Amino acid sequence: MLVINPFVSKCELNSSDTAANMPTNNVVDQRISKFKNKGKDLAKLREKRISECVELRKAQKNENFLKRRNITLSSLPDEEALSPENDTVGLQKLLSKGRDPPLKEIIDAGLLSPFVSFLAMDDESTLQFEAAWALTNIASGTSWHTQQVVEHGAVPAFINLLASPVLHISEQAVWALGNIAGDGAAYRDILIECNVIPALLARICPDTPVGYVRNLTWTLSNLCRNKNPCPPLSAVQQMLPALIQLLHLSDKDILSDACWAISYLSDGSNDRIDVVVKTGIVPRLVQLMNSKELSIVVTVQTPALRSIGNIVSGSNLHTQMAIDAGALNVLPNLLRHPKPTVQKEAAWALSNIAAGPCKQIQQLITCGLLPPLVEVLRNGDFKTQKEAVWAVTNFTSGGTVEQVVKLVQSGALEAIINLLQVKDAKVILVLLEAVNNIFMKLGETEKLCLLIEELGGLERLEVLQNHPNEMVYQSAHDLIQKYFNDVLLWVHHLLWSVLVLVSGGFFGPHAASNGPAQI
Amino acid sequence: MSMSQTTEPTNDGATVTEEAKITTDEKEKAAEEVLKEAEEEEEEEEYVVEKVLNRRVVKGRVEYLLKWKGFSNEDNTWEPEENLDCPDLIAEYLQKQKSAHEGKRKAAGDSEGDESKSKKKKDDNEKLRGFARGLEPERIIGATDSTGELMFLMKWKHSDEADLVPAKEANVKCPQVVISFYEERLTWHSYPPEEEKKDEKN
Repeated sequence: MLVINPFVSKCELNSSDTAANMPTNNVVDQRISKFKNKGKDLAKLREKRISECVELRKAQKNENFLKRRNITLSSLPDEEALSPENDTVGLQKLLSKGRDPPLKEIIDAGLLSPFVSFLAMDDESTLQFEAAWALTNIASGTSWHTQQVVEHGAVPAFINLLASPVLHISEQAVWALGNIAGDGAAYRDILIECNVIPALLARICPDTPVGYVRNLTWTLSNLCRNKNPCPPLSAVQQMLPALIQLLHLSDKDILSDACWAISYLSDGSNDRIDVVVKTGIVPRLVQLMNSKELSIVVTVQTPALRSIGNIVSGSNLHTQMAIDAGALNVLPNLLRHPKPTVQKEAAWALSNIAAGPCKQIQQLITCGLLPPLVEVLRNGDFKTQKEAVWAVTNFTSGGTVEQVVKLVQSGALEAIINLLQVKDAKVILVLLEAVNNIFMKLGETEKLCLLIEELGGLERLEVLQNHPNEMVYQSAHDLIQKYFNDVLLWVHHLLWSVLVLVSGGFFGPHAASNGPAQI
Repeated sequence: MSMSQTTEPTNDGATVTEEAKITTDEKEKAAEEVLKEAEEEEEEEEYVVEKVLNRRVVKGRVEYLLKWKGFSNEDNTWEPEENLDCPDLIAEYLQKQKSAHEGKRKAAGDSEGDESKSKKKKDDNEKLRGFARGLEPERIIGATDSTGELMFLMKWKHSDEADLVPAKEANVKCPQVVISFYEERLTWHSYPPEEEKKDEKN
């Protein structure tokens, strides 16, 4: 018997449903255009946001009205005669149980409206708290779940609750708002328009318990999160001073979320990075990146490193600030960190510093970054190696002759030649660019050609002439044509052919088939 | 006055001469061009650079790879810098190299779950008791073993609500606080009189 899932027709593109139903593109497009914000132009979206805010304020007004008139739940037309407290607590337990609380059933039973109205009942703090907790957990679900919570008017109610004198209730409101902000840029901006930031900042004082501050930092970080669009600059300016203060505390959870906030804010155009570095926070970020600091853990190091990585992807000035704050002294450790993702991010940051002027490249050399770079090129996991390859290419592009010589002497040339055998065509192209740059800088001395040949580079280049990717074989071919003089090539081919003959084809047939046709 | 008079006739003269000159010039030019064309056909002296494609250093000399106007890519040649007279094209090439090199790459955005959670569910930890409340221990105000296991009554910083925590947990999580509790309650007992008698004998 075919049963139509009511939730598919009700809610547009719930992510868990798409795997089961795979309609044609047209239907999908139609659905997508109905889903929240996709396919709508910015002006319309803004209108919608503002009207939603107005709706929310209206809803709040209505609730206050009901409250003043002392209308209890039991007198509301839609509800059965529930005993509100018992039911919320029971539902409370239902909601937090295990991984799949029956959120949809709760929503379908129309319980969101009463829950939201409980939020306004300052005289019933247990009820307020339980309702806040329940709504927090519903909002922690999928986008659709969060949407339900918002559309039932929870936002102004929660923002009001922030001012509650009962600490754990206020804290619950912070958490709920964090979930709503974390849904995406649209709700984040609605919250900002409803003035959530000043209300949050007002709760930070020296006496605030650490658990509360943790929640608050996390919620602030969600208000900094997401791009397309980035949070409004005015909101960022409001939050930054608080974030800076939080970054000077010592609780690891607070530090971690505050660093994440900075990493979101610095992930963008250079003027966004500018706003962040102007706070003077860079030295503290470098400190937090440093594992040698006794109590720094990877949950703090990771976002601190991401922030610095974002900063050095900015202008040369931004990069210099990171260098001046001592980032280069910490990077070698991070390139040798046991966690591959940390190594990868460190290599990425390094590649961006190497894309700077030769003065900064010199600082890379002085601070001993070549040896760990070469280690990573040799032994790192592939994602890390990719970043390291960019570092080498950028280095050879912007470095002076002496600097490129140092790079070659450090073993980088050998390492990149070995990497020429990877499958990834894009990486090969970057590698070939590095080789080309080295020739351009050092001049096409026979010495360099011989060195590359000794390291097995010429062989690899010849193999690459047969690569399926057109740009790869063209690049490899050009390199050989440009730099490897004919005599050397002829001798090489001769030796190779002899080897193949003598070994009875043990050595691959590819070189032999190219033969002396080159000459 | 005499000057103006003199200019007129000289002007006329000059115009005539100029016209004559122009004609001669034109003729000369035409002749030159013919010669040039002939030369070009024979010796190919003057070419026009279409684009600068590459740069290299050979034996300390800078050379540029040039694409020639009217010729295919197969005819590209390397020419020493000194021979060239196309500063704009060279500058264009170098500028392209520079911006390619200023290759800062922004974050890829694939943070692979390392990032902080975007949403968090609050679990029902029996309303969070003891250390699970995440508060900092201030001091122990009492102890009991009525539950069968030794428990401390813990006063937390920034909270008026004290609650019971297992001694086992407190010993690990806040040993100094535990030690303070015990130290505050140390009582000293004096030894029994028998030993005093022993001393007297000796």
